[in-house]
This record gives sequence, structure tokens and C-alpha cells, in this order.
Amino acid sequence: MNLVEGWYAVAIADDIEPGTSAGTRLFDRELVVWRDLAGVSHVWEDRCPHRGMRLSFGFVRGNHIACLYHGWAYDTAGQCRAIPAHPDLAVPETIKVATYHSAEASGLILVHSSLGAEAPPPPAPAPTGRALRSLYVDLAPDVVAERLLRDFTALDDGSYAGTLAGAPVLVFLQPFTATRTGLHLVLAGPGDSVAVSAAAEALRNAFEASSAPALEAAE
Amino acid sequence: MSLVLHDYELDADCYMVRLFLSILGITAETIAVDVHPGHEQRSPVYLALNPRGSLPILVAGDLVLTEAEAILCYLARSEAAGSPFLPDEAAAFGAVMSWLFFARGPLGAATAARLTAMLEAPGDPETLERQARAAFRVMEDHMTSRHLSGASWFVGDGPTLADIALFPPIVLSRDFGIDHDEYPALRRWMRRMRTIPGFITMPGIPDYH
Ligand code: FES
Repeated sequence: MNLVEGWYAVAIADDIEPGTSAGTRLFDRELVVWRDLAGVSHVWEDRCPHRGMRLSFGFVRGNHIACLYHGWAYDTAGQCRAIPAHPDLAVPETIKVATYHSAEASGLILVHSSLGAEAPPPPAPAPTGRALRSLYVDLAPDVVAERLLRDFTALDDGSYAGTLAGAPVLVFLQPFTATRTGLHLVLAGPGDSVAVSAAAEALRNAFEASSAPALEAAE
Repeated sequence: MSLVLHDYELDADCYMVRLFLSILGITAETIAVDVHPGHEQRSPVYLALNPRGSLPILVAGDLVLTEAEAILCYLARSEAAGSPFLPDEAAAFGAVMSWLFFARGPLGAATAARLTAMLEAPGDPETLERQARAAFRVMEDHMTSRHLSGASWFVGDGPTLADIALFPPIVLSRDFGIDHDEYPALRRWMRRMRTIPGFITMPGIPDYH
């Protein structure tokens, strides 16, 4: 299974409410996902240019995100606009957070994994569905991808189509770290969302259980 | 009844009690105990009060209570009779109690992991972290299911002692190296906790002004 640079889902769009931020990882790189009060989502490198604090620990004020440590505030382009300790300073243009290309489709927040570079257009939105939830599996992304392919079909947009609790679903895989994988679940037709969610938990648990002896042997 | 809380500011269990007192709008006399580095909670005077050598301790007249969840239950009955924080109805009461035992049982690994990381308490950090993540996952799955069902709190339609008891270990988890990245449902619920009138923070819980 070849997980390469490209577009990946990193969150359910509704889970990042306006005025909030969250951290996540893609190929072990730390990302902050945040949504301004106008409702626009942003995905950046999760590192404050001042001293490297994770910006996801910070807080959103209007259309800025402010760092928890010393309050440096960044606008929606990642440009630092205010340094509380030096209120009269004209902030140099060079103080800027590295930003990722991101988009929202199918109720998910999608990110292109290569920082800064020109990105190809994001995958076309899947047919309407309801983005349900995220799950995190304590297994390597390629292992999870291989397990998914036993019961699911890989689609062109990078998702996996299958059935959970009798309902059609799409699963978007997020290479989180070398040993952890995010799964973002979209209900692609009629179905009981709670039952589908529970079936996804059972699938996650089965993936992990089948690999548990290997994990214990490695300890 | 005058209430005296023997308290340590950085202790998550003491915070649990302070949080509920604040939500109830009750002021208790607070006595600061020198846990670190003094280990005063294990001094002869404190062992006479609580042989387990732990905090918090609540003294209400002749009554001496230990164990944070028990103190929450006592306060709900004594200071807020009929309050929805400890429901009377059997099913809701049972559900709240099972989360309180979960908080002291599986989730206790999170509290222990934090003490090991911050106050050099004994314990194997890797084992505790694995157990804490397993407990957080149980909470995350529960709150995901609740969210998909249109509910916002661990039990019932409003905050209960379950929410109060489960909140400190997860909100403070960065103190022992577990981020909130994998817990979107718990992030949503933790934000909601901040809207409870009387909500207070402690060191390690950001206070957004
Ligand atoms: S580290 Fe972000 S403002 Fe100082």
C-alpha cells in the first residue's frame, strides 16, 4: 500500500466549530486546524514562529488565532499582526506561520500534505453524505489501509467504500504517525448513524486485536 | 454547616471538588496543604485525619470525608438537594455512579500518570499512559455516540457529577504528554464544560479571556 503526498482528510468539518482550534498530525507532522468566526477553516503548521509553541493550544479571537504562550496573534493568512509585549511595533512581514492548502468537501476538512508547494486541486466532493466521526487506530497507516482493502474498495478520491451496520459508508484514511492512523467516516446513504459509528468502533478494535500479539512481542 | 477543604492547588482531585463548590456557589474555607515538596498530607497530623494520606479532605462539622467522588456526592445531597447533578431517578443515578467509579477506576491511570510526570510520584509512565489512553477512548466513543444522538453530556440532558469527575483527568492530560488531537468529541464536551455557570480553571487549564 502506497501512501504518498496528496490530499488527506484530517477532521470532520463540524468537529472544528467556529472560533476553535485543534491539533492533528499528518505523516507525523504537527498541524493546527482552526476555524475563524466567519466560518472559514485553516490548516497550518502547528508551530508558533516565536518559540515553537503549538498554536492548537491557543485560542481564536475573531479572525485571528493567538498563541497561548505570549499571545502573538496571526491573521487568516498566517501573518503575525500583533505582539502584546510590543503593542506599538509594526510586526515584520517575515513573522508568518507556514500554511497548508486545505479545502472542505463531503463534510470533511482536507489538506494537501506537502507544505507550501503548489497543490493539485482537491478531490471532487463525493456524492452527498453525512460526515459522522473520526476514529484513531493504534496501527501503522499502511497496515490499516491493507486491512480496509479486505472488505472495502479503494476509490479514486483516496477513500474506501464499503458497508457498516448495513449502511453504505466512505472511510477516509489519515496517515497520522508511523504507528497511528486516523479514519474519517462518512455515511453515504440511509442508515442509523449511531449503529454505523458503533460498527466502526468494532472494526477498529478488530484491526487492533488482530495485530496485538505482534505489538506485545515487540515490547 | 461550615465546610473546610484541605486542598492542594495542583492536585486534579482537589480541583474536581473546588470546581463543584464553585458551580454550587459555595465558599468553603480552604487550607493549603504542602504536598510538593513537603508531603504534608502524609504527616502524622494529616494521617490522623485521613489514614490514606491523600487529598482532598472535606471536613463538615464532625464529618470527615475523603475521596473526591464521595465528596461530590455528599455536596450534591447536603448543599444542593434535588439538584440534577446527582439525579434521584434510578437509571440516571446508576449511570452517574458508573461514571464516578470509572473515574476512580480505569481513568485513575490518567491521574497517576500526571502525578508521575509532574510530582515524581512512583509509577511506570508507559503503562499508565497506555491505560489512560484506553480510558480516554472509552469516553470519546461514548461522547461520539451521545453527539450523534443529539445529546451533549455524559448522562441525561444537563451536566451531572459524571461530567465534573471525568473532566480534570482529560483536560489536564497534556501535563503528562497526551494531546487532545484524537478526541474531537471530548474537545467539544470540554468546551461545553466551560459554559457551566461557576466554572473555574486551575493551573494547566487555559483561561481564555
Ligand atoms: S511561543 Fe507563541 S507567542 Fe511566544
